[in-house]
Amino acid sequence: MFGLGAARAREETHPHERADALADLVLKDHEGLDVRVGDLWQDRPAVLVFLRHYG
Amino acid sequence: MNRDRKKFEDAGVRLVLIGQGTPRLAADFRRRFKIALPVITDDSRISYKNAGMKKATVGELFGPTVVAKGIVRGVRSGLVQGKTQGHPAQLGGVLVVKPDGTIPYQHLAKDASDTPPNEEVLAAAREAASG
Repeated sequence: MFGLGAARAREETHPHERADALADLVLKDHEGLDVRVGDLWQDRPAVLVFLRHYG
Repeated sequence: MNRDRKKFEDAGVRLVLIGQGTPRLAADFRRRFKIALPVITDDSRISYKNAGMKKATVGELFGPTVVAKGIVRGVRSGLVQGKTQGHPAQLGGVLVVKPDGTIPYQHLAKDASDTPPNEEVLAAAREAASG
């Protein structure tokens, strides 16, 4: 069962007031291009939807 | 969320999906589900961790309430979950981030069925864009 990588004990989420820990991350987009996450909200608010999985 | 993208655009916010996996998986996902939104992908899941999201227990993935809510959502949306890609126990969430870096709204999933209503997120987005 734990082959799923499921947590053995219930974890808590850790909400933040600011997105500083995300801003300087550089991730790839669906075309393989680098995206600095903080650039997403530089000029207007961003809604970031974190998917549980693709599909 | 993809279906309501025009409402988010009209609200003056940028709507972005973040998934776990490779760019190729992200591109396949966009193609399969006809998603017009940009998809950013995070194989390491560091963004999930830094956003405060958690991994689910087995009960938070497959508990009766979780499964029932998933079925209801599938019937309502007409979408059926396919093969899981990425870390199966990683939970997601939604953040609204303003240009000053503050997060006026966030919903961090407590189990696999825990997603906020689009209207709730849209209302938060509109408020963030208005000031």
